[in-house]
Amino acid sequence: MLTLLRDLRRLRMTIALPRPERGRSLAIRHVDAGSCNGCEHELTLLSSPHYDLQRFGLGVVASPRHADLLLVTGAVTSRMREPLMIAYNALPEPRRVAALGNCALGCGILGTAQNVLGPVEDFLPVDIRIPGCPPTPEEIAEAMLALLDGCTDR
Amino acid sequence: MTGAESYRRRIEASLADGNRFLALYAASDGSLVRTLLAAPDGSIQRVTVQSEDGRIPSIVDLAGAAGWDEREAHDLHGVRFAGHAPLRPLVDHDADLGRWTVPIAGPDAYQVAVGPIHAGVIESGHFRFHVVGDRILHLDARLFYKHRGLEQAAEGSSLEDGIAFVSRACAACAVANGVAYAQACEDALGLRPTAELARARTILLELERTWNHLNDIAAICAGVGFAAGNASFAALTERARRLNALLTGHRFLFGSVSVGHSALTLDAEAVRAAREILAELRTDSARSWRELLFNASFQNRLPDIGIVSAEDARRLGTVGPAARAAGLSEDARVHSPQLAYEGFTPIVPRRASGDVQARVEQRALELLQTFDILERLLAAPVSAATADPGIAEEAIGIGRTESPRGATTCVVERTGDRIDRLHLRTGSYANWPSVAHAAVNNLLPDFPLINKSFELCYACADR
Repeated sequence: MLTLLRDLRRLRMTIALPRPERGRSLAIRHVDAGSCNGCEHELTLLSSPHYDLQRFGLGVVASPRHADLLLVTGAVTSRMREPLMIAYNALPEPRRVAALGNCALGCGILGTAQNVLGPVEDFLPVDIRIPGCPPTPEEIAEAMLALLDGCTDR
Repeated sequence: MTGAESYRRRIEASLADGNRFLALYAASDGSLVRTLLAAPDGSIQRVTVQSEDGRIPSIVDLAGAAGWDEREAHDLHGVRFAGHAPLRPLVDHDADLGRWTVPIAGPDAYQVAVGPIHAGVIESGHFRFHVVGDRILHLDARLFYKHRGLEQAAEGSSLEDGIAFVSRACAACAVANGVAYAQACEDALGLRPTAELARARTILLELERTWNHLNDIAAICAGVGFAAGNASFAALTERARRLNALLTGHRFLFGSVSVGHSALTLDAEAVRAAREILAELRTDSARSWRELLFNASFQNRLPDIGIVSAEDARRLGTVGPAARAAGLSEDARVHSPQLAYEGFTPIVPRRASGDVQARVEQRALELLQTFDILERLLAAPVSAATADPGIAEEAIGIGRTESPRGATTCVVERTGDRIDRLHLRTGSYANWPSVAHAAVNNLLPDFPLINKSFELCYACADR
């Protein structure tokens, strides 16, 4: 077990992200509104040792009621529109919405008009856009950290 | 074309000959249904039946694995299956709760509803557990929240463009789905892949399996809350995805599979680098795996949980690592003449008990095989390659691959260069009923572990 943990500490040094600062945090609720699972797989790795976004105060929380940011992946399908709106309405103010990946941004939509309703911004006010198919963990991390910096300045 | 009376007899005879149910799908207008069966030698039999007044006899009593296929054909194409009762809605979400759930009643029985939005970073899907205390009596899984209508949207596009629909169905199985589609198109166009094309595709398929199996072991660690193991295998997953980006320019190998050709070129330096990185991954994953073996608190959670016996696996049509973990020595790679799997034999764990432990061990065993295959295939530089004309053209083509979740079948029906009908039945689609079956009699808190031991894609099933 100690060998494992020692290796993991070393991995973090291979990534050139800014050093963590203290005293800020952002709680994220993720909603998959109809993705191909690519954005989810990259998001999952954000908590892996290479990136370890928790050290910047960024964490995925279980309930939208505990979240500052709604992070939406995928083009919004007819079946996910309602759950997405319920999750958004459960977020306390001030709240932000991030559209993650080309599908959520409306650039990569594949599917029938009947089943895919459109990009996230057709339904929610989108504050940050993270393009990519899927965006790499670095790209997601940079967008999140920029948002965090913006929040601190305000 | 078969009539309604002889349809069931033909399916029954085919199953009695040792063939296994592969897929069932309806024409877009519901006028006919095609059933595919695989012979033990890998050859595929196709049975087509014309509907009479929108009705077709059900085969669900003969082949239990056809259950979801029939429900989907009903919901999307209006086919009524005589004898499939009750025909519960699958893709149709407008139905009342009472129609799509199995009625469970009795003292202290109640329901626990989970999803479609889950607590972690997980795809959307709804589970309805019928429980007494913590004991699961039955699980109704309601997926298709992510149904994008990809098969329908692909209709009318060219064979070359059609690959976008199957590749984007699921990121985790993008190559397996893409290669199955490319094989289906080439089967219809009368093309045979050259040895070099076969090698390029096999490399891509095994690179996909590498990151997926590493990811699955990480997910199982997460399923029991074992953070160190999760972090260790997540780091290995990241390294495998970086290797993908190094070789193909994309972490999920998107855009690397095409119909009729392959643009993948790896010079001597690239294959040397790939072999080196894979050798490191092999050593480090073996070391991390050993750490897991010696962690009693992790190991004690795994045995006798979420059992799918060999008999159940056969009946439910379980495929992939989940079927092999139950002792079924089945793998689509054995019958893949269009791919470079010469001499491949499926592997089963020593204790093929079909429980979570066996499924975890299965991933580790298959990883070793995959590293061996990649080492062999990456021995020489890879150059761009094409498929050659050589076999007769057909209106319908079928392709099969073994995705990290199991056997994936793709059917393409065409007129000239246009897609008339596209059907994709992935390993995840085949295995979701097995997850529901495995959950029964287990404790609700063990469900995340059971679910992760299958680690199925929702996107692949929902399409």
